[in-house]
Amino acid sequence: MTVMDSQGSGEPARPGHQAQGADLAAQIVLVARGDAAAFDAVFDRISAHVFGIVRRVIRDPAQSEEVTQEVLLEVWRNASTFDAGRGSVMAWVSMLAHRRAVDRVRSVQKETERERRIATSEIPFDEVAEAVESGLERERVRRCLGTLTELQRESVTLAYYGGYTYGQVASLLSVPQGTVKTRMRDALIRLRDCLGVAE
Amino acid sequence: MKLSGITMRRTGAREPHTLAGAYVMDAISPPDRARFERHLERCDECSREVDGLREATARLASATAASPPSGLKERVMAAAAMTRQQPPAAPVADSPKVTISAWFRDLGVLAWPNRLALAGGALAVALLALVVTFGVSNGSMQQQLDDAVASSQQVAGVLTAQDAHMMAGQVLGGGTISVVMSRSKDALVFTAKGLRPLPATRGYELWLVGPGGPRPIEMLPPESDGMISPVIVGGLRHGDHLVLTVEPAGGAPHPDKPMMLNLIL
Repeated sequence: MTVMDSQGSGEPARPGHQAQGADLAAQIVLVARGDAAAFDAVFDRISAHVFGIVRRVIRDPAQSEEVTQEVLLEVWRNASTFDAGRGSVMAWVSMLAHRRAVDRVRSVQKETERERRIATSEIPFDEVAEAVESGLERERVRRCLGTLTELQRESVTLAYYGGYTYGQVASLLSVPQGTVKTRMRDALIRLRDCLGVAE
Repeated sequence: MKLSGITMRRTGAREPHTLAGAYVMDAISPPDRARFERHLERCDECSREVDGLREATARLASATAASPPSGLKERVMAAAAMTRQQPPAAPVADSPKVTISAWFRDLGVLAWPNRLALAGGALAVALLALVVTFGVSNGSMQQQLDDAVASSQQVAGVLTAQDAHMMAGQVLGGGTISVVMSRSKDALVFTAKGLRPLPATRGYELWLVGPGGPRPIEMLPPESDGMISPVIVGGLRHGDHLVLTVEPAGGAPHPDKPMMLNLIL
């Protein structure tokens, strides 16, 4: 199931990100109380999201599945730590998923894999273009990535989808680390505004 | 919104808040992460900015959404059913009782922790093979297979955890045990071999003994080819010991002395 499926077919009575987000946050509260049915529903809403970003960073299908399982179990275990005042469930879940995926990549990476990943990351925007081929959300993200400068876009895609540190991104792009740091922040601010993220 | 941290520049100081973008994309080293998180504690504005940027990264993530492999849901739901949840962060005044500590002192600790990183995964493979070989012990054939599969997945989850480490111990009266534990999963995998044979009316029972008292885990299955098939133990709490006792074959509500094994986790 894709994100679009879960938004489109699952709950026709709840259009829009906001209502869905509030609904999901309410379910997380139930999960924190040990409600297995709520966790079942939450799973359906977040699993494609989690698996997608984990696989994008890790690549290896078996490891991606394993880490996805860990992340989803972490949602169950740590549901009580979710703070709706800090942001949406999706932001929280994305943080858990991305952090674990990156940790996995950095801890187990072999040199040869690293080299292969560097080679395939030379065309980050094309990779994203390939990944975001369908769906309204994908199209929106793609369009907003397109509004960034090339350096901003490459910094974001290498860091977020490639799992690189800003130092590694700086090496790959042959620019100073300080430049990459500020470009990453500028890029995310622009993306946030372009995507109409509610704060 | 400031764009590149030009305001509030402090001479000579690095500007931590320019790390906000790298931070929310996990593109920083652990020391940088810790430094930035200390900065966040003091800077409400930065904290709000980080929260907003996280929403943007969530959208980057959602653009990659893909159907997870079939069977994942069943495994996650099964694992959740046996995974204890974290309590809320709000402080709960509840001083741990230590009534059991004297009980611990009865026997010298027979275990020695042996922190072996499971880098090669050779042990994981070996234990998985054990699960496949010995994980089927009772119930109908289908139930046996289901149990074996579920069990091996839980075992694999512990063995492949990043913080998995191994401990070994000797059992009073003979035999050795080995444990692979993951704090992040609050679980361990237990195996034993060479245990002294017991009469049919008696059996080895496994316990977790913590500040709150002993919790029975299960009666160990009989040895097969000189080895106890792996037992997965979930719901570990801080301060737990893993204890093995000899009890009536049906199990006992409280552990009987002497402890055949007392492993500090």
